[in-house]
Amino acid sequence: MYISRYMIKEPLTVTPDMLLPEARRLLTENNFRHLPVVDRDGRLVGMITDRDLRSAYPSSMLAESERLLAYEQVEKAVVADIMSVDCVGLTPESTLDDALLLFDRDRMGALPVLEDGRVVGIFSSRDLLAAYKELFGIGEKGSVLLGIDDNGQKGFMTRIVTLLEQHEIPFTRLLRIYDAEHGNHRIYLRLNTFKIAQVVNLLREAGINTVV
Amino acid sequence: MRLPPSLLTLITDSRFLDHDTGCDHPEIPARLQIILAALKQNDSFAGLRFENSRPAERHWLQEVHDESWLFRFEEAVLSGKTSIDHTDNQICYDSYEVAALAAGAGLAAIDLLEQGQTEQAFCLVRPPGHHAERVRPFGFCFLNNCVVAARYWQQRYGRKRLVVFDFDAHHGNGIQSAFEREADSLYVSIHEHPSFSYPGTGYSDEQGFGDGRGSILNLPLSPGAGDEQLLALLNGQVAEKIGQWQPDAMIVAAGFDGHRADEMSGLRYSTGLYEKIGQSVRRWSNLHCGGRLLSILEGGYELTVLGESVEAYVQGLLSQ
Ligand SMILES: [Zn+2]
Repeated sequence: MYISRYMIKEPLTVTPDMLLPEARRLLTENNFRHLPVVDRDGRLVGMITDRDLRSAYPSSMLAESERLLAYEQVEKAVVADIMSVDCVGLTPESTLDDALLLFDRDRMGALPVLEDGRVVGIFSSRDLLAAYKELFGIGEKGSVLLGIDDNGQKGFMTRIVTLLEQHEIPFTRLLRIYDAEHGNHRIYLRLNTFKIAQVVNLLREAGINTVV
Repeated sequence: MRLPPSLLTLITDSRFLDHDTGCDHPEIPARLQIILAALKQNDSFAGLRFENSRPAERHWLQEVHDESWLFRFEEAVLSGKTSIDHTDNQICYDSYEVAALAAGAGLAAIDLLEQGQTEQAFCLVRPPGHHAERVRPFGFCFLNNCVVAARYWQQRYGRKRLVVFDFDAHHGNGIQSAFEREADSLYVSIHEHPSFSYPGTGYSDEQGFGDGRGSILNLPLSPGAGDEQLLALLNGQVAEKIGQWQPDAMIVAAGFDGHRADEMSGLRYSTGLYEKIGQSVRRWSNLHCGGRLLSILEGGYELTVLGESVEAYVQGLLSQ
């Protein structure tokens, strides 16, 4: 589950000396929210976000004369003036879990992916969501999620899997999650069949109860 | 001599029993036999007219399905395969012909409706259709009967603005994929929430793309939801959306697997609920689209309640 499979490779980058109007145009035209800033050798020097740009432009609350003055200054400013410099990067060997923990800790929307200091990709929280959606099979046509009551018996998971495989019932995910509140485990099974009632009956006959 | 228009015509065919799904499969010929027996023995349905189906012409199927899929399906049955793409989709030698005949039922019904020979029509068909996609089968469905009928109505009779209302317990992914980019075709579905239910699609945020933005209305219900929750949606969001849409014609994907006795879903509808659904769709079609109403059978697998559920729905359709 390395992020390299899910990141945007060779992303659009900008240089520190680019004028702000140009950077703003790139973000809006491509509907991006983050751009890595790189030097001549492609090494990361900072990140610029649509939010940085928005706050750099004068507020509409200002008086007209003041606003125009501020506007002129912004039009002459460059990326280096507003970019954030102390940014964390991921590497192609970072895992989805690494990214999730970083996003969660730093409230970042996207992170650059670096190899020897060079930007080789960008990985956003949207990419992370898409990756987890795929991993858990959410929205996968032709599947259904079934909850199973874990009775705590030894070999319970083996019994479920054996039963399904013996009856050639296709399934793609089997999760066992500890529920601290109730002090027991919950099991979730993603079945890829429409014959749900048969599976439920089969499990029930084997003493395995399904729950909603 | 011209017969007076019948109130409700049922399009069905004994050939529908020839789609053999083998043993241990919920979608079996007995489903139709039970429905027909229930309708025929009900004395208050004396005015029902029964008509045979006709096969949908290839070019109407191709309005909905890729030719590659039609070839693949035909080839699979002729070569004696017992399932296609997934063991859920059981087939036999006759399955292609029977499926084409099921898809043609809507066409036969629309002709009768448009010629003024019936006030409304209900196609009692199998295999069902709403899970079938452009290039592949899904969940016991091979050809998308509702969408084939929709294309025929739109193109043959110019009823461009069309709505399919689907009350089967499962989301009709195939109808949604056909309609989700079109401005004139509306799909409204009430189904068990996709986080718990097959086929895992039909989240409320799936609303269509581009020109079709707003042409999909998914209304998922939590497992355990029953008459009260369905009626709230029916009289609320569904009635409102169809009223705003102002359709030229209405197709109902009528599935009965949301019944509390049906193990195919976690919904808990009563038999009586189907009468209320029948009344509502009849009322909407009279209000908004000159009474042009076509119902097509989808799911419903619990044989002990399927007959009475369809009976209740028909009772509702016939209400004034
Ligand atoms: Zn269904």
